[in-house]
Parts: sequence; structure tokens; C-alpha cells
Amino acid sequence: MDSLTIRNASAMPAPTWSWLKMNSVDIEVPEGLERTCRVEIEASEALTDNMKSFEGALAELQGRQNEARAADSAATDDRAVARAARGADQGAADLDTPALSAYERSAVLSELAGDVARDFETGVGTNARSYLNFLAGGTVVLAAKEGAVEEAAIRVTANAGETSGASIDVVCAPDSELKLTLSLDSDAADPAFVGSTLRIFAGARARVDIVVYVTGSDAVTAVEDSGFVLDEGARVSVRHVVLGGKFTATGLAADLRGDHARIDVDTSYLAGGTEQRDFNYVIRHRGRKTVSNMDANGVLTGTSKKCLRGTIDLIHGAKGAEGNERETVLLASKGVDNKTIPSILCDEDDVAGNHGATIGHVRPEQLFYAACRGLSQEQTEALFLSAKLEEAVLTAPTDEIRTNVVRLGNQIVPNFEEEIA
Amino acid sequence: MSAPLLSIAGLTASVDEKTILHGIDLDVAAGETHVLMGPNGAGKSTMGHVIMGDPVYTVNEGSITFDGQDITEMSTDKRSRAGLFLSFQAPVEIPGVPLSSFLRASVAGRPGLEMKGKEFRRRVKELAAELDMDTAYLNRELGVGFSGGEKKKVEMLQLLLLQPKLAILDETDSGLDVDALGVVSRGMDAYRKATDGSLVIITHNTRILEHLKVDRVHVMVNGHIVREDDASLIPWIDANGFDSFEREAAEQLSEQSADAPAGSARIPANLGAGMSQSLRSVLDSDGPVCDANGAQ
Repeated sequence: MDSLTIRNASAMPAPTWSWLKMNSVDIEVPEGLERTCRVEIEASEALTDNMKSFEGALAELQGRQNEARAADSAATDDRAVARAARGADQGAADLDTPALSAYERSAVLSELAGDVARDFETGVGTNARSYLNFLAGGTVVLAAKEGAVEEAAIRVTANAGETSGASIDVVCAPDSELKLTLSLDSDAADPAFVGSTLRIFAGARARVDIVVYVTGSDAVTAVEDSGFVLDEGARVSVRHVVLGGKFTATGLAADLRGDHARIDVDTSYLAGGTEQRDFNYVIRHRGRKTVSNMDANGVLTGTSKKCLRGTIDLIHGAKGAEGNERETVLLASKGVDNKTIPSILCDEDDVAGNHGATIGHVRPEQLFYAACRGLSQEQTEALFLSAKLEEAVLTAPTDEIRTNVVRLGNQIVPNFEEEIA
Repeated sequence: MSAPLLSIAGLTASVDEKTILHGIDLDVAAGETHVLMGPNGAGKSTMGHVIMGDPVYTVNEGSITFDGQDITEMSTDKRSRAGLFLSFQAPVEIPGVPLSSFLRASVAGRPGLEMKGKEFRRRVKELAAELDMDTAYLNRELGVGFSGGEKKKVEMLQLLLLQPKLAILDETDSGLDVDALGVVSRGMDAYRKATDGSLVIITHNTRILEHLKVDRVHVMVNGHIVREDDASLIPWIDANGFDSFEREAAEQLSEQSADAPAGSARIPANLGAGMSQSLRSVLDSDGPVCDANGAQ
């Protein structure tokens, strides 16, 4: 295959200054890779033997939402922004109707339409999803029945010179529980590509717990793309652990459509050498009293680069919603390039949005303390890396993922396996 | 005294062009316990940091020799691996690094101390038990959320784990309750028994010294060692404080300033003899008697 560039991936919903070069990222798929499908899915028959579809789940939800809107006499929206989005610009003849930016107009129209399927998005975006669907050749549907408790594991890997991807739809019926682990891994010494695209529907009061580990070598490009729709009272927790890969893109978009829905995203990453990490999180609160939490914690060393975009969108009508995003980054060497852009969009009065970022170098007093225990600056910086790896080993959800982390650890930290034994 | 393990000769050190230590001379032999006392701001902690090679300070004059090697220009990590240890008055927090990982990295590559994973964990748990320390702390980020007492226990744990030839304990006893103080004392005892190493204890609190055999006491005022004596000096300081030392240092400074030509005022490098005479007169007049053998 020829080299491929996926442009405008992981784009922020509301762009900032172009010169900051943070609005999106271009993903380079190396040339000469052979398309393969090294994907293993471990799931019970109850999960795989189904007639469900992600689109069908959205249609069901749409039906209920339409009924609720029809019953709501206040559905007629006469706000100035709604008038502006619906009608043509009246110029000076109507000074009460504001001019809208392209983004504002599309956001208001989306809100007025209330079209669940049209609003659906994934974190890395359409172009990457199309490529990953092409690699996968087809989409597997995992469907948890009402009240069922299920587990599944997905492993995507590629050898040197290969490109491999998975496309998975997950449909969780009301009151079901699903634990899903996803591993994107490759120890290739030469360029390779691994990726996955997930669409997840969490039905009413469903509990979905997803753990993703990315453990590629420093020759591997990895893309992990996901999109969530949460029905009333659904709870989703996602843990992204991104430890290895020459370039990794992690994108998550969530539509908290149902009232009282909640998503917690916990991201842990490290990057060393010339590696690059890119994250894009977009969480849209549409239901009332919905809650989201994004926590990211990372370590950067060498001349690595990282960009994290975190957007919480508190849409009109999401009364009582609360969104929080926090990031802590440790810059363990001076050559790193760290970018963080927390963004809160708000078109509702009765909401709360909080964000914070702590970005710091290893402080001189920390270096001196470590030196007093015999650690040079290089050893102290390596300590932050090994600590992150050790934590990832201790919390690995499966033996196979643990093995992948240990393999990666041995490449980064001398005698890593021996030390944690 | 046999050949000193640590020998400091004419050490002058400064920070931001301000001289903090003035011509310090100090020898500590192997197996000896020395106490460094003095009022707040005397330069005691600075001296500990300079001995360890804290890059914040500049050594302007003099030398530091440890175990027969001139370490004045040596990096801090190498001094540690040569057998020096500094217990911090206010141990730093290192978020993101579990205590166990930090400890393991500290012992890695030290001859005689390297341990495999299980052996290391067993050893650390033994030491934690010895110090009444909850092993749950081992998996927590270094210092983060630790109480003052727990932080000091971690310092003691590292002392026992690393078994240095000479340990400088910088007010390890400060801010501790009675129980924690007992734990720290036990830690020092255990260190001496296990290694017969040397100790330089920087403290305000003579209580921590009650169960230790102290060989020498040094009093520091305004960056000068103004008095050296045996352990008999401790109860005297306990009863009388540092006022007389500070007063004498101020008087000497004033005399030196008056005697010296304009622009050349400088405190002599060692006030020990003058201060010794002064202390004797104070003891004779209204303090407890302190004879040549230290008996009262």
C-alpha cells in the first residue's frame, strides 16, 4: 500500500488559533504496509450470537427521544440563536437575532434536530474510522442482553510491514454489564500500523467498563478511535493506558444523551525518545444531570511530543450537568513538547464545568533528594518512566497485556522484569 | 582519633554570593557520633547540604575529604554511592513515583546491597516493621500525603536500607510526637548496630540524644563552628541554650570590625578558643560545672 495521510484527525469541535497547531493532527500511515487482520476477539457466544446493531439501538433511542420531545410543549425553541440558526441573515432589519459562526450554527441546528444518529461521532473522526473499517473488512457486533453480565477481550496486533485494524460495535441492553479489554500491540522493529474503531451504545442503566492498553514498539503507529452513546442512567468508565508507539492517536467522543448518564475517562500515558502522543476527548452533555470526568496523567521524556484536547460541551437543555477535566503532566526532560488544551463549551445556565492542568518539570529539590539516594538525573528521569510502567503492570487486566507491558518495560528500563518480579 | 572518615578543612560556602559557612573545620572518625547544634539560621542544615554537594551552594574555599577521597567536586549521587547519606529535615515529595520503586532504584548497583525482587520486598517489609511503618505506604507515591512522622520514618527506612558509612541526620526529630521520636531513636540504634557507621546529628532537641553515645558536640553560630567539646556540653546547652555563644560571636564580630582596617572586617575562621574560655567563665559563674571529663 502507498503511504497514506489521514488529515484533520482528532479535530477539536471548536477550533482555536491555527498557528498553535493544536486543532487536529495528521496521521501518517507508512507506505509499503501489507493489509492484514490480526484481530482476536474473546467473547462468550451470548455476546456474539445476536441480531443487534448499533444503528438499531440508536433508532430505538431516537424513537423514545422523539416521543418525549413531542410530549414536551416547550419544545418550540424561540431563542435568538435558534432563530439565527434556522433563518437567513436579516442584516440590520433584525438586530435581536445574532450572527453565528459556522460552528455555532451547526451546533444549534444539531441541538434543534435532536438526531442521535447524525450527532454520532468518534474521537479520531470519520476519515480514520473509514480507514480502520477498510482494514477490518467488516464490523463485529457484541451485544449484551438485558440484565446480563459479560466480559470480552479484543487483541489487535501487527508484524513489521503490516497494517491491521479492528472494527467493533458494542450494544449493551438496559441493566446489562460489560467489561471489555482492548489491546493494541506490536513489537515490530520496522514500521507497522495497528488500530481499532469502536462504537458503543450503553442502554439505560447499563454499566460498561473499558480498558485499553497501547503497547507498540517505537516503530509502530497506533490509532484507537471510539464513540459512545449513553442512554438514561448509563455508566461508562474508560481507562486508556498508552505506553508505547512511535505515534499514537487516541480519540473518544461521548454523547451523554440520556438523563443521569455518566462517563469517567482515566488516561495514563508515557512517551520517550521521539515518540508522539495525541489525544482527543469530546464529551457532549445533552441529558439532564449528566456527569463526566476526564483525568489524564502522563510522563514525557526525551524529545517526545504530546497534544491533549479535552472538550466538554454542555448543550442547551442539559440542566444540572457537570463536566470536569484534569491533567497532570510531568516533563522529565527539557526537550519535550507538551500541549494541553482543555475546552468547555456551554449553552446552558444550570451546569458546572471545571478544568485544570498541572504541568511541571522534575524540580531541582527533587533531583537533589534523589541524588542524595545515589540517583543521577538520568536515573531519576528513568524512575518516572519505570514507575509508570510498573503501575501499568500492576493494573493490567489480563496476563497477555501484562506480558506486553513487561516486554515494553524491558526495552525502556534495564532489568525491568527482574525488578518487578 | 584515628584517621577521620570525614574531614572538612577550611570550608567556606555561599549561596547567591552570600557566604553562609565560614572556614569550617570538622573531622569525624569512623564509628563516631557527632552532634551539630546551634540556633536557628546558624548554617547547620546548609553544612549538611554542602557536605552532600547540593548544587544550590558554591564552595568558595576549603575541601571535603571522605574515606580518603577528596569529594569537594564530586556529584551528589556519587557521594551517596561512596557512602554518605543525608536525612532531610523536610523530605521532598515526588508524585508519580511509588516509594517502593524509589527504594529499589536507590539500592540498584550498590555493591553488597543489590537484591532480587522478592528479596528486596522482604527486606523492605522487615525494616518497615522495625520502624512501625505501615507497608501500605510502600505502594504510595513518595511522600505524597504522608504525615510529618511518616516522612521521617521513610528517611530512617532509607538509612537502614542503604547502610551508609556516614549519615547526616538533619533535624530528623523535629516535629515528631513522643512515639515517632522513639521510632527514630530505634532507627539510629539499629543503624549503629548494623553498620557501626558514623553519625552527624543536627538537632535542637537533646532528647533524641539521650540513648546515644555521643563522641563530640559542635556548636555553630552564624556559619562558624564556635565550640567543640565532648558530650558534657549537651546538658549544659539544654539548660542554658545558645545565648552565650551568640552573644560572644556578636562581640567578637564587633571587635574584629573595630580593629580591622576599613573594608577588611572579617570573622576569624575559628572562634573555638575564645568561645571555650568564655563558656568556662559562664559555667564557673552561674552554670552547672563541666569538668574536663564531662562529669557534672
